[in-house]
Amino acid sequence: MSLAGLEMVFFLPAVLLLYWAGPRHRHWQNGVLAVASALFYFTWSPRLLGLLAAAIGVSFGAGRWLQVLPLEGVSQEEATVRRRRRRWIVTGAVLAEVGILGVFKYAGFFTNSLAAILDALGLPVSWPVLHLALPLGISYTTLIQVGYLLEVYWERTPACRDPLAYGVFVAFFPQLIAGPIARAREQLPQYLEVRRPTPEAVATGSREFLLGFTLKAFVADWAAPHLVDPVFQSPLAFGAAAAWAGLLGYAVQLFSDFAGYSLMALGVGRLFGVVLPVNFRHPYLSKSLAEFWRRWHISLNTWLFDYLFAPLTTGRSWFRGKAGPAFVVVFLVSGLWHGPTWTYVLWGGLHGVALWVHHAWDETYKGLCRRDRAWVARRRSSSYLLASWVLTQGFFLLTLIPFRAPNLGVAADLVRAMAGGGSGGTLPEGLGFQGAAALAFFVAWHVAEFRPGAWAIGWFERLPAPVRGVAYGLWVVFLAIYVPLGAATFIYGQF
Amino acid sequence: MDRGALRQRIIDWLDDQYHFGEAEQKIGDDDASFLDRGVLDSLGFVALIVWLEDLLHLAIDRRNISRENFDSMNKILDYVERRLAGERS
Repeated sequence: MSLAGLEMVFFLPAVLLLYWAGPRHRHWQNGVLAVASALFYFTWSPRLLGLLAAAIGVSFGAGRWLQVLPLEGVSQEEATVRRRRRRWIVTGAVLAEVGILGVFKYAGFFTNSLAAILDALGLPVSWPVLHLALPLGISYTTLIQVGYLLEVYWERTPACRDPLAYGVFVAFFPQLIAGPIARAREQLPQYLEVRRPTPEAVATGSREFLLGFTLKAFVADWAAPHLVDPVFQSPLAFGAAAAWAGLLGYAVQLFSDFAGYSLMALGVGRLFGVVLPVNFRHPYLSKSLAEFWRRWHISLNTWLFDYLFAPLTTGRSWFRGKAGPAFVVVFLVSGLWHGPTWTYVLWGGLHGVALWVHHAWDETYKGLCRRDRAWVARRRSSSYLLASWVLTQGFFLLTLIPFRAPNLGVAADLVRAMAGGGSGGTLPEGLGFQGAAALAFFVAWHVAEFRPGAWAIGWFERLPAPVRGVAYGLWVVFLAIYVPLGAATFIYGQF
Repeated sequence: MDRGALRQRIIDWLDDQYHFGEAEQKIGDDDASFLDRGVLDSLGFVALIVWLEDLLHLAIDRRNISRENFDSMNKILDYVERRLAGERS
């Protein structure tokens, strides 16, 4: 089951009905969400539901334990003892959470990589290879729980006392497949209050769901089979134009798939009176890599920033004040988080190094600005901004090659095809009506960020409600005609 | 260092690192949010923390690194005053 699947047509209204028709009490509301989330999880990984429950139990219990060992209001000696005990608790709990992720997601990768290294050194080994099913959303639920544990450890948020509310905070079904990664300070208080329906939340939630569904099922699911998959399957069969079209198509697919699903999650959350964190803010309009990562998968990047980058660069280690090397570490972790393959590690490494280079350029440019204010104005000029945009987006586009390619060999083949080294084939089909409409929607989505787009949205919002209702209805009919039901894939679900 | 002198040092640092003579104008109001007004982004906050620690020879505890303590000029000055007063007492 997924938010974009046919089952959701029955599942979502049934859960909403139970949720809002029952007693207006948080235990009822959290209970309904817990059962619905467990059912949702069960349809993907029935045998691993117990593992998720155990992981939630560990982080909840560790949080409570930390809470009963406050550092304030005790003697110096007692504070020292407690500090040590708290460190043990948080280390143990974080290791347990990351350990589960490590075993299920990375054990095969590391054992295979180690075997390959030993083999290259002339020490061939043969050991059993683990083939474990990846629990649904484990990369997301692990980060949610580790973030919570660190917040409680640093006493920036109180430990949750309500296990039901905590369970929903970790495993609320709209965020299970592809995030967003909930943060304790913003999310937990919402589950500790009674939620009440408002017309605004229903209207906004429905609109977000519909927009997200359009991006996901109409744009991304069209781009994948028509542009992306054929090119990445056998790049050398294509000419340069088709190879570039395949890569550009992947940029369209990746954004639409992930931002679309995130928006659907936000919309569903709002229908339950829960506000989930925004995950995308038009990253393809960014004019620097740093800005790009503040706009793309925001919940992951703020997590990595708060719990990895900031502690590294403000701590007492060698990384203190050294943003460049810290970027490399953070993005290698980000690459590995996306998947246990060397192509993801390469992708992360490339972004880390590029951010380091950008940071060094920034420092150099600051020197110019200090000497002559004219450089400040130059940086704001249209030509500088356009060049920055082209460089940023061009770099991101090229790094999508290792991100999408199944292995480094295919990545190299695609680069060769893009340079004209392929056998010159073209894509099997033209754009057609649906392709043109999908790409037009993708472009319109970005134009909406500029003044004419904002004006058009404002104009639409001011139309009488029945007119808007008819427009949405026609939109749904249009999607029902053009979206193939049950064909959805989820790029970020596999992470 | 008194409050006025520290404020000036922060303005000088912001001008040197990010705003090149426009920091005062960018800040506008000492109670306004640095993040909302574009005075600093998240990377800038990290750099500010490191700079403040080195300047004042104090260690800012991770539990205190938050918008509540650093997201405006007055919040920064209040936090530093509290910390320095705490260390003297």
